Amino acid sequence: MSLVELELSIKEEQIVEYKVIGKRVKRVEDPRLLTGQALFVGDVNLPDMLHAAFFRSDYAHANIISIDIQTALEIPGVVAIYTADDMGDAWEPGPPLVSPPPTLENVVFHSRRQVPLVKEKVKHAGEIIAVVVAETRYIAEDAVEEILVDFEPLPAVVDLEKCMEADSVLVHDDLDSNLAAHLKQSKGDYEGARNEADLVIKRRFELDRGAAAAMENRGIVADWDQKNQHLTVWDATQSPIPIRNGLAARLGLRTHQVRVVAPFVGGGFGPKIMMFYAEEMVLPWISMKLGKPIKWIEDRRENFYATTQERQQIHEVEMALSKEGRILGMNQKIIHDTGAYDPYGLTTPLNSQSHSMGGYDVKNYSSDLTVVFTNKTIVTPVRGAGRPQGIFVVERLLDIASRDLGLDPMEVRRLNFIPPDAFPYNHEIIDQAFVPLVFDSGNYEAAFNKALEELGYEDFINEEQPRLRAEGKHVGIGVVPFIETTGVGPYEGARISVEPSGKISAATGVGTQGQSHMTTFAQIIAEQLGIEVSEVSLVSGDTAEFHWGTGTFASRGAVVAGNAVHAAAKDVRHKVLKLASKILETPEEELELEDGTVRVADIPEKSISLGELALLANPLRGAVEPGTEPGLESTKYFGPALGSTAFGVHGMILEVDPETMMIKIRKYVAVEDCGTLLNPLVVEGQIHGGVSMGIGNAYYEKLHYDENGQLLNASLADYLIPGSTEMPQIEVYHMNTPAPNNELGTKGVGEAGAIPVPAVFAQALENALPDYDLEILETPLSPNRLFELLHKREENS
Amino acid sequence: MKVEGEHLFKGPPQQVWDLFRDTDVMAAALPGTEKMESVGDNKYEAIMNVRVGPVTGEFSGNLVISNEKFPESYTMTVDGRGKPGFLKGSGDITLLDQGESGTLMKYVGEVQIGGKLAGVGQRLIDTVSKSIISQAFETLDRVLEERSAAEVEDREVEYQGASEKDYAAAIAKDMVGGLLSTSWAKWLIGVVILVIIGIILIISYT
Repeated sequence: MSLVELELSIKEEQIVEYKVIGKRVKRVEDPRLLTGQALFVGDVNLPDMLHAAFFRSDYAHANIISIDIQTALEIPGVVAIYTADDMGDAWEPGPPLVSPPPTLENVVFHSRRQVPLVKEKVKHAGEIIAVVVAETRYIAEDAVEEILVDFEPLPAVVDLEKCMEADSVLVHDDLDSNLAAHLKQSKGDYEGARNEADLVIKRRFELDRGAAAAMENRGIVADWDQKNQHLTVWDATQSPIPIRNGLAARLGLRTHQVRVVAPFVGGGFGPKIMMFYAEEMVLPWISMKLGKPIKWIEDRRENFYATTQERQQIHEVEMALSKEGRILGMNQKIIHDTGAYDPYGLTTPLNSQSHSMGGYDVKNYSSDLTVVFTNKTIVTPVRGAGRPQGIFVVERLLDIASRDLGLDPMEVRRLNFIPPDAFPYNHEIIDQAFVPLVFDSGNYEAAFNKALEELGYEDFINEEQPRLRAEGKHVGIGVVPFIETTGVGPYEGARISVEPSGKISAATGVGTQGQSHMTTFAQIIAEQLGIEVSEVSLVSGDTAEFHWGTGTFASRGAVVAGNAVHAAAKDVRHKVLKLASKILETPEEELELEDGTVRVADIPEKSISLGELALLANPLRGAVEPGTEPGLESTKYFGPALGSTAFGVHGMILEVDPETMMIKIRKYVAVEDCGTLLNPLVVEGQIHGGVSMGIGNAYYEKLHYDENGQLLNASLADYLIPGSTEMPQIEVYHMNTPAPNNELGTKGVGEAGAIPVPAVFAQALENALPDYDLEILETPLSPNRLFELLHKREENS
Repeated sequence: MKVEGEHLFKGPPQQVWDLFRDTDVMAAALPGTEKMESVGDNKYEAIMNVRVGPVTGEFSGNLVISNEKFPESYTMTVDGRGKPGFLKGSGDITLLDQGESGTLMKYVGEVQIGGKLAGVGQRLIDTVSKSIISQAFETLDRVLEERSAAEVEDREVEYQGASEKDYAAAIAKDMVGGLLSTSWAKWLIGVVILVIIGIILIISYT
């Protein structure tokens, strides 16, 4: 694989030269992870620990008539079995995580949150009705099988459109319909634009559900210490601090009585956010009730039913264009499936609504968003979070419009890009940041041209493709630009401290699920404090170490926590130099901080180490001056008013076997611009992972629900995740257009890789199969589905 | 899921009808059956044990016959629940007198499945069900032959149903031409037996 680093930015004056930031530093967490020395929740085993297993509903929609736990209770080793009634006042639905944007007007929003144990009516398959506590998980599982629940099955609500018909069964009986939310957003005058257009195209897009399918499932160990009056919870969560705050409030404790630890977590991708999953509420409650530690690790089948999913939406979109291919306006109706509950509010569909114009300058836009309840697993953001749907829609429409207008699809894109001098660009549409979107910076055409060049677009179209076609091969090319709003608030913080050993300890509330925080944040610290990256020990995701912040999600760690780390590191550097200046009797400007030592620039032998300074900063009796703050330590926060807009372009050449519909990706190019690169290796890892997820979303992974709300592929034997054999060699090229709204200039990149892939696939497949007059208006595809589409096309023609 | 098909039995409609209403015969034909009894004129209850592969547990079903037109047709509704999930369906069964050739049985029905049965077993159900149906008919054919022979020879019926193991192994073999490895076959057995409960009850049990 050729990995080339490029800095193509036209705003070079903004680019800062760093010593450690931006270097390809190997991940410091890897030795522990690769040798099995990293703590995951599954590794937490405490004396006298009990185990939980859950009785879950097989029905997607059913009334509970009765629950019989007697036989199960008699099994030796079963300690207790609880149902909703046992929880008393502790039973309450999960907190609303994200309310609708306060700035939007005329929003209909019905908040319905998941419950710890179902009381009356099951609303999706996999909901929990009872929890068994036993000496071992084996016994607990056996006991679950002996619980008898008499259900009255109800017809299930599954279809996004039928569920809004007047006679539809209701998911929530206290509502008039299955409407969860409705809102409109617009700018300019779409109708006016439509009247002036030379071409108006209208299409209906259907996007379906996938699982996040993290390698590590969810897991919780809760340990109530009666004598200490203290609760410790190990939780495979992306957001330990909100979980601690919520648990304290719900269990009637002070926040200092609760410690939530998110140790190493094997992938988050969104669903491990501060959900207050039923299990997250129930286990701590049981531990307090029984005064013993209790553990539950989700199994893969539970993960398919009970861990949140995403992406099912219907978009009916109209695009108005001039004959030159300029987009004059867009109008769309979106229906978003939120599943049985909507704890995460409108985050995902707002992202779709705001990303449906991609990085194009569209002056007139009008959109109508309907969110519906169905008897399916809850929907919350999954890597990409509504953005892949938006990008799919706009990119497909541009492909169709180019074809209808007889224009070069790549030229049409160039024509519509927001130009580099238009930033900050007022996009106006509200996204997940809850304020009208402003694109802070961008250089879209340069990234686009770079991708075309590296992919060899012209050569392929003019020479290689005709040659391969002559050989009977079905090869196609697809190139898709995209944008990603990243780095949203509210804020994150970090504490950095110089130890007497000269080593650095740091802590932040942003836990790690594979993002390499221990390396990249250490690089930011090393940059300021003149030490090796390996000298930094970072704790993330332990509320005992740091307890302000929200968590790891929305491509915001490098931006929000990164800049907090940067601010704290600068402050510690300031303290170090100030103290050294006093001791070395030299002005700060004449001091250098390198290799863990402060030196006088001209007289290198006149120096003092960081460790000695740290000792002196912790004064003994008699040495304290009034107003002294001990330690070379600083805690800083960063809360951006506006996020930063990352962008990129993915391109692919693929070959389709028109008999089996199996594909082979011959070349894959990703150009990414996430502003200042903290570590290219890490960014490339994020892109690789994102592309892998995107390939799944595009061609393999689809959750099949039947008309009764039953998931038909709830195992990894049937739900296909791309493996190494499906992964291409990915060439990643870096650009750097620094974010103007944060000092480091960083933009998020965690979700980027997954966003454009379904649109790239659709374009490349159509390009590979020109004889079939194929128009792909849906995702995920699969070999099966492509076969059906081709044969449908053949039948029609 | 739609279930549809037909089978020619070597016997007159009355005899085929009687066969389907004989709980002993059906219990023998269905491996793992712990209980199968009539609980009213047209109501039956069955409990089956499934203890193979990852899908294990007890499955209990009840079955209601309606729209009876002896010996031509009837409708059957089945509702089964157990650890592996649930099953609900109804089907119309028609017996057509083919004179010398016997009785042509036609069936068409809709089955809903849920839980582990749907989530883990779905992929194989369509293929497996076809195989199960043909296996079931073979078993019932043998019963019918044995009954006819016993009637002619004026002796007691000596029929022993296939064992659970024979049954599942035959289905597995049938399904993929004996290409399956042992572990796969074991896994299949689990699914197969679950499906037997539903499909056979629906198509051939009164």
